[in-house]
Amino acid sequence: MTELLEKATGTVRKVRPTWPVVLLGVAAVILLLAVLREITGAQDVASSGTVRAAIRAAMPIALAGLGGLWSERSGVVNIGLEGMMIMGTFGAGWAGYQWGMWAGVAFALLFGAIAGGLHAIATVGFGVDHIVSGVAINVIALGAGQYLAGLAFTGKQGGGPTQSPPVEPMSTFDIPGISNLAQTLESKHWFFVSDLGAIVLGLTSRLTPLVIGGLLLFVLTWWVLWRTTFGLRVRSCGESPEAAESLGVNVYFYKYVAVIISGALAGLAGAFLVNDSTVYREGQTGGRGYIGLAAMIFGNWRPGGLLAGSSLFGYTDALRLRSGGESVHALVLLLAVLLLFYAIYMLRTRRSQALASVALAVGLLAIFVLTDEIAGDFTGMTPYLTTLLVLALFSQRLRMPKADGQVYRKGSAG
Amino acid sequence: MSDTSDAQDTAVRLTDIGKRFPGVIANDQVNVTVRHGTVHALVGENGAGKSTLMKILYGVQKPDSGTIEVDGRQVSFSSPADAIAAGIGMVFQHFMLADNLTVLENVVLGAEKLYGSGDRARRRIHELATSYGFDLDPDRLVEDLGVGDRQRVEILKVLYRGARTIILDEPTAVLVPQEVDELFENLRGLKAEGLTVLFISHKLDEVLAVADDVTVIRRGRTVTTVDPKQTTARQLAELMVGSELPSPSTETSTVTDVVALSVRDLSMFDPQGGRDLLTDVSFDIRRGEVVGVAGVEGNGQAELVEAIMGMRKVQGTIALGDEDVANWSTARRRESGIGYIPEDRHRHGLLLDAPLWENRMLGHQTREPNRKGPFIDRGGARADTERIVEAYDVRTPSIDTTARALSGGNQQKLIVGREMSSEPLLLIASHPTRGVDVGAQAAIWDHIKTARREGLAVLLISADLDELIGLSDTIHVMLRGRLVGTVDPQTVTPEQLGSAMTGAEVPA
Repeated sequence: MTELLEKATGTVRKVRPTWPVVLLGVAAVILLLAVLREITGAQDVASSGTVRAAIRAAMPIALAGLGGLWSERSGVVNIGLEGMMIMGTFGAGWAGYQWGMWAGVAFALLFGAIAGGLHAIATVGFGVDHIVSGVAINVIALGAGQYLAGLAFTGKQGGGPTQSPPVEPMSTFDIPGISNLAQTLESKHWFFVSDLGAIVLGLTSRLTPLVIGGLLLFVLTWWVLWRTTFGLRVRSCGESPEAAESLGVNVYFYKYVAVIISGALAGLAGAFLVNDSTVYREGQTGGRGYIGLAAMIFGNWRPGGLLAGSSLFGYTDALRLRSGGESVHALVLLLAVLLLFYAIYMLRTRRSQALASVALAVGLLAIFVLTDEIAGDFTGMTPYLTTLLVLALFSQRLRMPKADGQVYRKGSAG
Repeated sequence: MSDTSDAQDTAVRLTDIGKRFPGVIANDQVNVTVRHGTVHALVGENGAGKSTLMKILYGVQKPDSGTIEVDGRQVSFSSPADAIAAGIGMVFQHFMLADNLTVLENVVLGAEKLYGSGDRARRRIHELATSYGFDLDPDRLVEDLGVGDRQRVEILKVLYRGARTIILDEPTAVLVPQEVDELFENLRGLKAEGLTVLFISHKLDEVLAVADDVTVIRRGRTVTTVDPKQTTARQLAELMVGSELPSPSTETSTVTDVVALSVRDLSMFDPQGGRDLLTDVSFDIRRGEVVGVAGVEGNGQAELVEAIMGMRKVQGTIALGDEDVANWSTARRRESGIGYIPEDRHRHGLLLDAPLWENRMLGHQTREPNRKGPFIDRGGARADTERIVEAYDVRTPSIDTTARALSGGNQQKLIVGREMSSEPLLLIASHPTRGVDVGAQAAIWDHIKTARREGLAVLLISADLDELIGLSDTIHVMLRGRLVGTVDPQTVTPEQLGSAMTGAEVPA
């Protein structure tokens, strides 16, 4: 009977990526980059320098996105990540120049958490629309950052109303053994092997505790949200707060905690920026909070996907910085080839989409053949364009927490 | 009876419970006594206050007055957690499940202290599932489960918490007859284990079949508690409504030879790339004929309705009278004479926060009496809403009340009145009496039958098999997007129809 019903309603089980699949995917990407480097001669497509720059660009986005993940898994949309990040940069700059970067990190977490708490009070406590509250946080944080910076940094040596005195950044370290071996491999210029070496070297040398800590936070988030009671309760608030409340879960409490954690993580993202540029500067966040939110959506509200999304953005951003014209030129070829594959894949089901992809691929190939370099104005757009493109292609299969963005009032159960 | 033996015998006692909402008295001096180890049914019309009463007992809402006793001790619940601690569990009418979590996660949520959230919990769920005969895989996503299984997850949740008293709010509303039998089997199993079940239902035959005591509530007050062995369904219904009732059966056939709607080779593809939603569906409806479509939910009935209404793209022809309407917009189809009672009145039929007279205009905004040139005719719409409220017995304080404030039955009567007001050629009635009390149900049946006598063609989709059999002139059985057979409502029984719906042989 139940079996028949299941058949009748046509249920399908979902497939989750397993470790072998993920590793194969990573290997395929490295192979693709190796081939690209060989064909185009653009060395920075896969060099340790690019990887290092990619980490620097990706980390703040990833951490902001992780903040968004906490908040949205509990059902609160957090467009205020940008503002919480601004509070984090100010906290890191203010405490950092006086008592060192570790104190800076602590204050960035604290200031971010305060901004997060404000968002929680508005959205959870008073039932304000999440977007309205988030935008308000962004506006307030922008003003508060400028005002506080003017108070704290004017007249200080090396500082001014828009900039803090220099902050001593955290010291860097290499992972011994692995990084040496990787360095030897990269210098050989062997196909694939050297590319792998370059990437490993980029991942194991000149690291800061913030990078390692940030990555650990990803593992910790996954473990807490998907393996502990606490996490189950947080997720249930984002999926079905009525169900959670009917089972005696204190929905408000878990939402408060999750949004405050969200703010703290966004603050940490701000601290990363300050450590990276050794100073607090006005407008330092540059919209990374929003991109973090986009990366989280791209990652389907899961830490692994979010990390992949931020890495993609970080990588294209790094290419732009390192001999941008040449590297992005090489990237155009890659994109053209990928579009062709996509067209073949779509040929049977959606012909019009396939044809459009082919046309675009031909156009890109023409650009690749007819030019040697992409003009600087366009390379600057690459990371944003890539993010937009990838989001547009993948956004159809995303599954956000069901009650995400809905205001929940106690007593709605039943 | 002395006080002590009374306390031992009573699982739950509600005394003089009162609860008011702005403008509505939901409960007023309600008294219910539930004996240990029994199935106690609570019946009453929609809006009679049954659900409110159960929410009070489960701690979701606080009563304004009155006392609650559990196992002889007076208690005061400020949240469901308190009720759970006192051994009371509730299965809500609308399932309280998080779709994107697994069965295990849904069950342990809020009760992680009992057995953790890992293997120990998995073993406990397995134990409970086997001892009560539930066949559930703890690691499946709830999203992938059918309705019957979801209900079992809900009951499992309650059992997992060690509840001794279980409240079931209209548990049979969403089930086909075989599933109802399975549920009742489960309930008898629970009773045999010494648990107490509080059971809310509209379906009086079911109540009489399974309950040991029946309490009737009317307009927020308890009328009486009766013994089901000495009561008939008709008597119960009259107690609920407070007056005599008609029955659903059809009178003489009014079918004519004029075809009102002709559907040929309708096919719809799944945009997600799954199995086709509709395959080669063809049928005719003549004037004065009611054509029923029977099927387990999710087999294409909703898609069929949306195709005929022009809400989704399909292949095939749809002819209304002589005209092919397949390429017409929904608005044009409605204007040319299709009335529509949607499946989910909250999502498609009404603007819950708009007043009744604005709801009167929905879907009819381009027609008299709602329109005056390019503008809305406020006066005309209001006057006509008054007429509908009067003629269809919509119980409301005024036409400026929001639709949300009305009970389900009254909302539905307003929709029926609205759709009938433009004198349609064809009425598409999707679950017209779902979640509606017996009084309103009888009224809606009456309206459909009257219109049918006057030559209206009706497409009736319903999960209530008695309704289908009672109202239809022809019944098509739908399975996986196809019409797999036609049965004669004069001869078929609900059981036969139920098994045909799940893919067994179609009775001749």
